[in-house]
Amino acid sequence: MIDKLPDGKSIGWMQAPVQWIFTHTVRFLGIVRVVILDGEGFILIRKGLPLMYYFKHGRIELRGHGALDYFNSHKTIEFNLCKYTPEEFSRALEICEVAGIPQETVGVTENGRSVPARAEGAVKRIDELPVVQKVEQLPQVLADKSETKSEKHSDELPVIPQVEQHQQVLPKKSETKSEKHGVELPVIRHIEQHQRVLPEKSEQEGKNAIADDSPIPEADVTASHPVPQPGILNEVEIKTIGQIKKLNGIIAISFFNDDRNILLMGDVEIEPLLNIARTMLTTINTIKPHLDWGFFVHMTLQIPEGNLIIAPYHENHLCILTTRTINIGHIRRILRDLQQDSDREMMR
Amino acid sequence: MLKRIKMLKQILNKFLVLSDVQAAIVIQENGEIIQSIKSGIVINDGLQAVLSILMRDSKKTAAQFGNASFSMVFLEFSDNFLILGPVMDEFYLLIIAKQTANIGQITYEMKKNQAEIMSLL
Repeated sequence: MIDKLPDGKSIGWMQAPVQWIFTHTVRFLGIVRVVILDGEGFILIRKGLPLMYYFKHGRIELRGHGALDYFNSHKTIEFNLCKYTPEEFSRALEICEVAGIPQETVGVTENGRSVPARAEGAVKRIDELPVVQKVEQLPQVLADKSETKSEKHSDELPVIPQVEQHQQVLPKKSETKSEKHGVELPVIRHIEQHQRVLPEKSEQEGKNAIADDSPIPEADVTASHPVPQPGILNEVEIKTIGQIKKLNGIIAISFFNDDRNILLMGDVEIEPLLNIARTMLTTINTIKPHLDWGFFVHMTLQIPEGNLIIAPYHENHLCILTTRTINIGHIRRILRDLQQDSDREMMR
Repeated sequence: MLKRIKMLKQILNKFLVLSDVQAAIVIQENGEIIQSIKSGIVINDGLQAVLSILMRDSKKTAAQFGNASFSMVFLEFSDNFLILGPVMDEFYLLIIAKQTANIGQITYEMKKNQAEIMSLL
C-alpha cells in the first residue's frame, strides 16, 4: 500500500519522538513516512490530525492503534515529512479507503477539495480504523519474525505497550478543558482517541464523561506528556534546532551523542557525517586541556564543498552541515546564543 | 634569506594590527614555527604540540570527505579563537585572536596574503 501512495514533496528526514510529529504538523497536509529497523510505515496527517497509522514489517501489517503503539514504543523514530498537495492528499485518501478509511470521514468535498473536518468526527473515524492484529499479540509475532529473519534483531525489538494502558487514560471532558484554556494538548488528544475506541463505552457514557466535572487524574495527565529523558530534547529545543535548519545555507543539522544520532533534520546520510563529527570531537578533547581559552564554543572545518560545524548543546553536541556560501558570522552568533541559553537553563 | 624573513614578518604584521588579534604564525605541520608575530600571548612547546595535533587531525578529517583538503579550520572558545589555513604543502597560516576580533576581516586578509606568503616559503 505504501508504494501506491503519492510521493509528495520531502521536507526532510528527522529523528524525534512520535509526539513531536503531532505538535509540529498543525499546518501540515501530507504523509509522515516512518522507518523502524527493516520495516516502514506512515502516518497520514491533515493539519495536525492523524488520519491513519500504518506500519509493515515483513509480512506483518499494523494499522490504527497497533501501528501507533508500535511507533510509541520507541523513544524516537526516524521519519520523512512529505508534503501533499490537496490533489495528492485526496488520492492518498482514496488509497487508504481501500484499507478501511471511509472517504467521507476525511473532509473531502465533491469537487475534491479538502476541507477541515470537525475534530470529533474525525477522531471517531480514526477510532474506527480496523486493527489488523491485536496489539497484545504483537511482541510475540514480531519476535518470531525477527528470529526467522535475523537472530540479532530480536533483542532490539521493543516491547509494545498494551492497549489497556490507553483505556485508563483521560476522561473525555479533558478536551473541553484544554479547549477552554486555549491550550493545545496534542498528546492528550491522541490518547483520548484511544479511549473512545473502547467497545464497551457507550455513547451515553461518553456524554456523561463530558458533563462530569471531576478533575483529571493527575497521574494520567503526567503519563500522557512526554517525560524529559537524558539526551532527549524538549519541544522548544527541537523547535530551535528546526529554526537553525531553516537558515539559508544549512543542509542538515544533527543532535548527537557518543553512541547515536538523536535528532536529524535534513536529507543526508547521517552515520558517515557523525563519524567525521566524532573525529573532530576527539581532536577538540585532546586540545582543550592544553588551552586556557574558556569553554569550547564550536569547531568549523571548511572544505571546498561546504562547512562542518560541531558545537556543544546541553550534554551532547550539534553537528551542522552547511554550504560554502553560509555566513559563518551568523552561525557563530546563533551557536553562542544557544549555548548561553543552555547554560542558563542548567544553572536554574 | 633575511630579506624574506623581514617580508614575512611584514605580512604577518598586517594581521597583528587588526583589532584583538594576538598572534599570526606561519607554522609547519610538525609544530615547528617558521615565523611568528605576537602580542600578549606566549607560544610555548605545549601550544605548538597542540597546534600540530590540530593540523594533522584536520587534514585527516577533511580527507574523509571524499579525499577533500580543508581550506580553513576555525576553533572557537569563549575567550579566544584560532583560524588555521593551509598555505602550501605542510605550511599553515595560523591566527589567534580574542573572541571580540572581527573574523570576516581576518579571513579576508588570510586569503589576500596567501599567495605572497607562499612565494616567501
